[in-house]
Amino acid sequence: MSKPADLVQGTLDLLLLKIVALEPLHAWAISQRLKQVSGDVLQVSDGSLYPALHKLEQEGWIKAEWKVTENGRRAKFYSLTRPGRRALERETANWERLAGAISQVVRLSEV
Amino acid sequence: MLDWRWFRRLTLRLRTLFQRNRVERELEEEFQFYIEQRIELEIAKGLSPEEARSVALRAIDGVEQRKEECRDMRRMNYVDDLMRDLRYAGRAMRRNPGFAALAVLIMALGVGANTAVFSVVNAVLLRPLSYRNPDRIVTLTNRPTTDEATTGLGIRLVSIPNFQDWHDQNSSCEAMAYYRGDEEAVTVGSTAEYAQVTRVSPEFFRVFAVEPILGRRFTAEEVKPGSGGALVISYAYWQSHFGGDPRVLGQTVGGLGRPLPIVGVLRPGFGFPDKTDLWYPINTVFREPTANSRGGQNYFAVGRLKAGVSLEQAQSEMTLIARRLERQYPEFNIGETVFVTRMRVEMVGDVRSTLYLLLGAVGVVLLIACANTATLLLGKATARTREVAIRAALGASRKRVVRQLVTESLMLALFGGALGLLLAYCGSKALVGLAPADLPRLSEIRVDRWVLAFTLGISVLTSLLFGLVPALYAATVDLSEALKQGGRRMVSGVGIVRARGVLVVAETALAVVLLSAAGLLLKSFEALESVALGFQPKKALIMKATVPAPIPAARQFFEDMLPQIRALPGVLAVGATMALPGQIGSMATGPYFFNHLPPQREWPAAPSAVISVVAPGTFRALGIPLKSGRDFNDGDGSDKPLVAAVNEALVRKSLPGENPIGRTVFCLFDSAQPMTIIGVAGDVRERGPAREPMPECYIPYRQHAFNGPTLSIVVRTAGDRSGLEETLRRLANKTSPTVPMKFTTMEAMLSENVATPRFRTLLLAVFAGLAVCLAMAGIYGVMAYTVGQRSNEFGLRIALGASTNSVVRLVLRQGLALACIGLALGLAASVAGTRLLKSMLFEVQPNDPLVYVAVAVLLGVVALVAGYVPASRAAKIDPLAALRQE
Repeated sequence: MSKPADLVQGTLDLLLLKIVALEPLHAWAISQRLKQVSGDVLQVSDGSLYPALHKLEQEGWIKAEWKVTENGRRAKFYSLTRPGRRALERETANWERLAGAISQVVRLSEV
Repeated sequence: MLDWRWFRRLTLRLRTLFQRNRVERELEEEFQFYIEQRIELEIAKGLSPEEARSVALRAIDGVEQRKEECRDMRRMNYVDDLMRDLRYAGRAMRRNPGFAALAVLIMALGVGANTAVFSVVNAVLLRPLSYRNPDRIVTLTNRPTTDEATTGLGIRLVSIPNFQDWHDQNSSCEAMAYYRGDEEAVTVGSTAEYAQVTRVSPEFFRVFAVEPILGRRFTAEEVKPGSGGALVISYAYWQSHFGGDPRVLGQTVGGLGRPLPIVGVLRPGFGFPDKTDLWYPINTVFREPTANSRGGQNYFAVGRLKAGVSLEQAQSEMTLIARRLERQYPEFNIGETVFVTRMRVEMVGDVRSTLYLLLGAVGVVLLIACANTATLLLGKATARTREVAIRAALGASRKRVVRQLVTESLMLALFGGALGLLLAYCGSKALVGLAPADLPRLSEIRVDRWVLAFTLGISVLTSLLFGLVPALYAATVDLSEALKQGGRRMVSGVGIVRARGVLVVAETALAVVLLSAAGLLLKSFEALESVALGFQPKKALIMKATVPAPIPAARQFFEDMLPQIRALPGVLAVGATMALPGQIGSMATGPYFFNHLPPQREWPAAPSAVISVVAPGTFRALGIPLKSGRDFNDGDGSDKPLVAAVNEALVRKSLPGENPIGRTVFCLFDSAQPMTIIGVAGDVRERGPAREPMPECYIPYRQHAFNGPTLSIVVRTAGDRSGLEETLRRLANKTSPTVPMKFTTMEAMLSENVATPRFRTLLLAVFAGLAVCLAMAGIYGVMAYTVGQRSNEFGLRIALGASTNSVVRLVLRQGLALACIGLALGLAASVAGTRLLKSMLFEVQPNDPLVYVAVAVLLGVVALVAGYVPASRAAKIDPLAALRQE
């Protein structure tokens, strides 16, 4: 397995919020979904996922409830809250600004 | 929106806090689920279950660490740490019980004294009155703009016609009433006794929104002028005189003109004004003599503001009405205006400044206690340097160490607070016992939840105050230095010595401020006690008697009694007077004129005099010197020419350099008849020892009507007066069986006059004493510490031939230096601060040098005593032992 690309500082929150915004998921599914949609480029280490989720929950951006999965297991599902949606919009805008700026810099032709 | 988020966060935190087990379980379950999913995935990829498991666990990189990270995210650790710190603090206290007990005791003294004083302040100044919507109840006073005509009460009351205009013209109050209360003679069943009786106008009970718990209020019929009247009684009177029997309704109370039927009993606790026992409608049983006179300013007024009307609105409306009345009736109302004051404020009056003074003083004591505890903790901080260093070496952050040390202080403070509460409970009882009997709301003083909150608050605050500096100091430890030094030797930081010095100087300075204030008050009180009153209070028995009969018959009682008392063995002189010196409540004042009586409109501007109705012999009985002319005698009867005596103050003011004997004077009391002056008496401080004598006009009781017909008989005895009371009671009962009487002494009455200054002087002296003791302990602590630190040096000095005396001097000099700096700062602060006391001082200036000298001397002695024990210990150091340690 190739080493996944290091996540830019602070982008993990954005990614988690976005994934959870699509549909309520449990932690395992979140990590799988992230790998899947990014074509295996982005991967969260199993260890750093939980503290990040708990932090978001403590901020009030996501909320957790216990539900039964499709194969009949109990799991903690995270979903986005209204303040979370605003946070997501904010973070997305920030990211786009930053990403745009970075790509402009790297595209400068060398002389 | 913001609030919502905040709230959600709070609930999450609280959940983490209070449902820790559940949160922990969920965390466990969540990780378990995740790991199982991972295992399934790896198995699907073809690994064996064992391999899959180890891959999954490795991927998560330490389940426990991750859990801890999650907990950190939830900020749960604060609480865990706190619990750990508290447990640790408890252990530390048990390990060092002497230190803990001392610190707790010091804080308990500080916190206890503050709580006790606060419980009084809370009851008297802060707690709302126990009426419905108490802030809408106001008093209306009629104050002259000039000081000239001020009566003993310092305010002018309102006349009935003026009140009627206030009542009819205002739209601010939903109810307004006037009243007048007196101690009156009543008969319940067959016993004649005094009761506090208040005559009230119709809306009185509506002002207080007070309902009877039994029976009813007065009907419209019963309050009509000239009607038969009725009686409402207080709950306390119902209990004490009727045993709480509901059949009290319809029973009558005699003595108030005619037997009045009881129609209602008010709820417990209501006794306005002056713990009234009985209320009846004014102008019913008897008509007020001044009912139609705008000059008859004899009544108090109260009102209840309408809902939504502010005090300012009411005040501006009443000012307008007062101006209108001033224009309409200038002869009575010139220069007068109406003040609308919240009743809570008015009731407290000048007690406020005394209470704030005490609160300030006791706050200073608390500061000193804090400084003291801080020096104790600083001393301990040095001893604990190694412990702190080890903790730091093991990875505790500086913040963490400070937090732990502050937690220990908090624990000390909370124990101190708890013990202080206990002290305060006893202390506030003692305060109630010491407080002047006329302190308003005295009976309401208790430890309630506000007092508890106050105690908790100052305990926590003080723990920060005395704990933070030592904690910060202890946490700035040079690791390698601290660890290098052996466990036995303490690190002697220059910083710590300096910090303790500063604290001791500060507490000494604060103690000096308290001492100066107490000294000034003491000196002032002494002046108050030794002021020439103008009469002899010693060995004067007072018998107040009220004759339940109209004036001629009432006069007969006293005419019969006085010669009988005079004939008793051991009695030097007998007199009787309507108002005793210092008895401001029953004092009458009025304008006086010489030669002819001017028209009425000039009366308010005329100088006024105290008017005293007296019996012959009163001057001798009270010990008032007769300066010229003669005393009244039995010949000054109602059929003889009217005579009067004046005092020297009146002569000085109105007839300087003239001989007043034989002049004609008019004193407006019960009549405006001319009287011939027959004598001049010495001045008496009528309004208590703190106020200058007023002009006074004495008139004989046989020629005038007097107060309701009540006189106080004054009996001057040669020596022992035991049994005299019984003899007088027997004589009175023989003369007339239905006369209630009350005995007291002139000295007891005077003592009530100075009750407030005595109260504040005593308390301030106690606080100052406490402050000095704490400061002394502080100086001692610092000196003892220094001697311990420098024992090697002293040993060396002694070994090199220094005499013990020189070592003692060396140590004492240091203690005195600290005390002197504290003294200098304290005196400077006192000179600035004691100005605030000016209004409480009598014949003493705030910067009285003698007081400051005394304070300085006292403090010097205290510093010497505190320094002596450590100094003599330094002198006894065995040079060999000290050198061996080196």
